[in-house]
Amino acid sequence: MHETNAFRPTRKSLMKTDPALFSALVAVWLSFAIFIFLPVIRLLITTFYVDGIFSLANMRKVLGTSYNIKALYGSLILATSVSIAGTFLGYIFALAVTRTALPRPLKVLLGAVTILPLISPPFTSSISLTLALGPNGMLLKALGIGDFSIYGFLGTWISETLTYFPVAFMVISAILNTMSATLDDAALSLGASRWRMFTTITIPLSLPGIGNSILLLFGASLADFATPLILGGHTFPVLPTEAYLMITGMFDLRGGATLSFLLLVPALLVFFLQRMLLGNKSFVSVTGKNGARTEFAKLPTALSVFICAVCLFIVAFILYLYAIILWGSFVKVWSVNNTFTLEHYAYVFKHGQKAISDTLLIAFLSTVIGSVLAVVIGYVAQRKQFFGKRFFEFTSMLNYALPGTVVGIAYIIAFNQKPILLTGTLSILVAAYVFRYYATGIRSVIASLEQIDPALEEASMSLGASSVRTFTHVTIPLIIPAVLAGMRYLFIHCMTAISATIFLVSVRWTLLTTRILESMTELQFSQASAFSMVLIVIVFLADALMLYLLKVTTSKFHKPQEISYEKVGA
Amino acid sequence: MKKSALELREVTKIFQKGREVVRAVDTVNLTVEQGELVTFLGPSGCGKTTTLRMVAGFELPTGGSITIQGKDMTNTPVNKREIGFVFQNYALFPHMSVFNNVAYGLKSRGEKDADIRPKVIEALKLVGLQNTENRYPSQLSGGEQQRVALARVIVMEPNLLLMDEPLSNLDAKLRLHMRTEIRKIQKKLGITCLYVTHDQSEALTMADRIVVMNKGKVEQIGTPFEIYSNPQSLFVADFIGHANIVKLEVASLSQESITAKIPGGTSFTAKALKPDVYSATEVLYHVGKSAALIVRPESIQVGAAQEGEGIFPATVVSSIFVGSHIEYELLLKNNATIHASVPFSTGMEIYGEEASVSLTFDEQNSAFLPA
Repeated sequence: MHETNAFRPTRKSLMKTDPALFSALVAVWLSFAIFIFLPVIRLLITTFYVDGIFSLANMRKVLGTSYNIKALYGSLILATSVSIAGTFLGYIFALAVTRTALPRPLKVLLGAVTILPLISPPFTSSISLTLALGPNGMLLKALGIGDFSIYGFLGTWISETLTYFPVAFMVISAILNTMSATLDDAALSLGASRWRMFTTITIPLSLPGIGNSILLLFGASLADFATPLILGGHTFPVLPTEAYLMITGMFDLRGGATLSFLLLVPALLVFFLQRMLLGNKSFVSVTGKNGARTEFAKLPTALSVFICAVCLFIVAFILYLYAIILWGSFVKVWSVNNTFTLEHYAYVFKHGQKAISDTLLIAFLSTVIGSVLAVVIGYVAQRKQFFGKRFFEFTSMLNYALPGTVVGIAYIIAFNQKPILLTGTLSILVAAYVFRYYATGIRSVIASLEQIDPALEEASMSLGASSVRTFTHVTIPLIIPAVLAGMRYLFIHCMTAISATIFLVSVRWTLLTTRILESMTELQFSQASAFSMVLIVIVFLADALMLYLLKVTTSKFHKPQEISYEKVGA
Repeated sequence: MKKSALELREVTKIFQKGREVVRAVDTVNLTVEQGELVTFLGPSGCGKTTTLRMVAGFELPTGGSITIQGKDMTNTPVNKREIGFVFQNYALFPHMSVFNNVAYGLKSRGEKDADIRPKVIEALKLVGLQNTENRYPSQLSGGEQQRVALARVIVMEPNLLLMDEPLSNLDAKLRLHMRTEIRKIQKKLGITCLYVTHDQSEALTMADRIVVMNKGKVEQIGTPFEIYSNPQSLFVADFIGHANIVKLEVASLSQESITAKIPGGTSFTAKALKPDVYSATEVLYHVGKSAALIVRPESIQVGAAQEGEGIFPATVVSSIFVGSHIEYELLLKNNATIHASVPFSTGMEIYGEEASVSLTFDEQNSAFLPA
């Protein structure tokens, strides 16, 4: 920068050259300061300062307990296992959809079933696994297995893998789809067998997707709080649940903060690795080049058969689990009294009404505010040059990169005292959602802007339009599909997330997901199922509405845009 | 005194690429008169587009001043300059109909709908696109999109029409057609135009004057004829018309001309050019040292081997019959490669590979530049 300044002695301040950008930056940085920096700094202070001086006492105390060490190992082992198993399943599903001769309706079914875990609350698979394989489990009885416990590593691992493999599927199928089919043709024409083609072309070229998927799933599993809380049990502790129990059970804020710091380190490591892997390329949006394209060559027959068999088994299992929840919500007492009843739904609508309306209000507010912020941040980051831009981008994604438990604990520490006393209010819930889940929106806005030639905005300016008019008349109409796609996922996240907000709910504001958790801990499986069904239906309807809007706005001038996303730390 | 349409004074643009400082545009001076069409010609990365973008206001110069219609606009934002910019990829708004694209600037200016309609229709008529108002850009061909882009700026009656390689995305035939079309419209409206291109034939056929740029600097400014026949530098000679550049030893000098030794032959005399960049008193040529002979492929005659005054003996490397011409690649006795383009007429002899031939250079169309 020094050399540039030498040539430009009268460098004008940003305030004068671009007042709109200047005020936007000031506003955004201010919100970052309050809702991103302040909580993280307060968390660090709580962890490392005792009585006003730097101290490792908290750390020593926490690491001195063998149970906590076990939780740290548990978290890392679980995250590793889930990321490997989930990526493997995701790869198989992606191959089934992009490279096999499965009939089209079956491929659509595969895609649809993988959407289910994404729009469900994080407990769904845990609940149904409990109902199927837990004590009095339906499947256990059917198979005649008596001595089996779902609780512990195994159950948690299965449940998280089923919950997160759709993310791997999306990331990997995106990359398998964008590969050039002519490479397959080239390999075959050079005399390669189908096996050789698969091992020397398809697999190496999809390695970036595999790497990205492993990192995403590692992060997601590391942060997952709901599954181990239900299925982990005492034998298999992990960090997020330990931190939660330490705070809610033992009221030890310092201990909880310290545990969540342990979680923060690997999470940030994964975040940095992922940024390095992807460089500046965004995996969020993949625009299909629908030009003349040849078909991908099919896989070797044996492999195809194996892939299809695995997929159909998994799909059947997922559908079975959802059927259990549906059924469970309609019977009196699961597995004991199977009489049909609507009493659980009556209970949900009577006692859960507040949770439903609160959740909807919070999700709606967060979606609107988050989208506006995502548009501003995405636009500024993609189109403008300013000092500290990389740091700006990094900061905007920080809460998204951190496990929800960390964010939740940091928020209660930061906002339970003056000057910013927010605990127990609506704003703290909305803020937690906005600054975590607008990340998908930011990425899809950036990806969409990358495909829009800046010449369009220059054309508008050169025709005499102001920068504000250019933004509202040219930029916004062109990125509307991306904004809607971002809103869609923001809304889903707000409806289904729990890890951060479990710390922030209060008597005044409660959430559907916390009601599900309460029902589960009181062993009211049927109520939990009914709550889950209601939530799934709401999310499904809202999602359909968003998709419809997306279709309407993506009219003839918009290229078909396929936006996938990564769900991290729900 | 009549105001110039545009004046660039010492305009400089410096980019910072990592630790490297790039002088993309280096002290460019230019005056453009009302109604003139000036092309910026040069290889990619020569600074021609950056210069145009500074005139438009998309980039601010690091140094120097830009005056449009007598007003200093060096730091004026683009939307206050009243210029029209035609983009390489047209930059039509994909979400607006043709009508709304053309009306966009008028609406931004706050004109009344009743006034806008006739103006838009008139502009579309001028570019030959009646009855397309309700279509969308994606429904138009490349050539039609190009015309809409043109209509969109001329409807604004801008001070300056700036065009950034507007024809480079069209196929060859349409490009030729649009050249004359754009020139016709520009003359009809009397609009001052800056036109960036890397295609020398486009520059030669369209321009009143050409600005040849290289590495951020202006190499030469002149009419197409001046640039072609009187290149001021080896770069211009090479870039315009792919002249042969042959280094020859100077045998004798006069005020106006140079006589040089022909390798394996006698001597050849042609005018000695004195580029403006040198001061009047500077001595550019020396007896016994080399000078660069500039000769264009079409100013060379290829004949049967013989000896004589001014004849260059040569060997044929390849000869290609392209219909109207024979393209020769030849080797002089000093191993310099020469390209010759000889008009073909029936009964003419075509010399094959390895044949010994003699070349005659047209003295009127040859010149020496400092080597």
